[in-house]
Amino acid sequence: MSCLDFRREKLAEPRRRLSEVAQAHMDGCPACAAFAREVDDSERALDRALQTPVPEGLADRIIFRSRRPRPAWRVWALAASIVLSIALGFFLGVSRNAPDVYARLAIEHVVMEPESLSTVRNADPEAFRAAVRSFGGSMNELPGKIRYIRLCPVEDGFGWHIVFETPDGSLATLILVPGKRMPRIETASAGGWSALARPIRGGYYAIVAPTAAATSSFDKMLRERVAWDA
Amino acid sequence: MRAYSADLYRFAYWLCRDRHVAEDLVQDACLRAWKSWLELRDIALARAWLMTIVRNEYARGFARKRNETTLDEIDEAQLPSIPSFEAGLETAQIVALLPETYREPLLLQVLGGFSCAEIAGMLGTSEGAVMTRLTRARQALRQQYTDSIHRRTGR
Repeated sequence: MSCLDFRREKLAEPRRRLSEVAQAHMDGCPACAAFAREVDDSERALDRALQTPVPEGLADRIIFRSRRPRPAWRVWALAASIVLSIALGFFLGVSRNAPDVYARLAIEHVVMEPESLSTVRNADPEAFRAAVRSFGGSMNELPGKIRYIRLCPVEDGFGWHIVFETPDGSLATLILVPGKRMPRIETASAGGWSALARPIRGGYYAIVAPTAAATSSFDKMLRERVAWDA
Repeated sequence: MRAYSADLYRFAYWLCRDRHVAEDLVQDACLRAWKSWLELRDIALARAWLMTIVRNEYARGFARKRNETTLDEIDEAQLPSIPSFEAGLETAQIVALLPETYREPLLLQVLGGFSCAEIAGMLGTSEGAVMTRLTRARQALRQQYTDSIHRRTGR
């Protein structure tokens, strides 16, 4: 068995006992033995990642529902959620043709993900530095304390959603969107939020904060501390 | 049903990535299973049978785009464009980013504990195709895992 064959087998079924021939290969190949250990480590990480919490009482609800039709409140809840979505659309007024579309989309993003403002998640400065690098920039200094980093669905792909605690203690959201070209700086206000979207080399970024002054202040600090066209 | 509800929920969640939709999917799947219980010939196959129903419910209601292509038509090279985003990704996010054609067999293997041959039967494809997809899915995961180790250790 070659190293390539061994690695294919290990990657395809890492949780099964290796075939005799694969085991013999690994015993005589330190590189493949190290590879197998790495795969086993990442399998453990995968197990942990997939253990999503299961809602309490799920089995009871399944059994209950199997004996009764879907209750009316669920239909009303569905209708209410549709109304809410439509209302949110009206409220934010996000139109694809609007001159401030990217700034408004950023506000919509924050409104639709409120947990980002109350959760500390993946707050790793190195992850932010790497995200900046992926846009062709370089970070000289953090523009605040990172509280939340998540890769989120954005138009046509994925973008970084980052929440900073600024030096004055307020929160500012930065959304980095790759690949999208926007012709000019945009600003928008809606629902008690203010946003500024600015084109950068690898796409654009949008800042969302409670006031226009806070948005502008964070934008200034971000440009001082991050060289986006490095 | 109690024995399988957690696995079914996690499978549904990782297919649709929405906890409310996942619960509805599981409930709808179980309702469907309840009605066709007599079709299950071997109780030992209940787990695979239920997961297949969850998958079908998902395909029916939440992934109509699937109908535009079959599993075997998908280009094996269509793994997510991770390189520009590689650093900082968590395993969960990488899983979420995997194209469905890679994510499904991976979930069936990790959450369901099925073999490549069993997954091939459930997905209606060949064992070789399943092995290829699992290999590629894990290559993406492994890359992320080693990158994050290197970031932490500064190597």
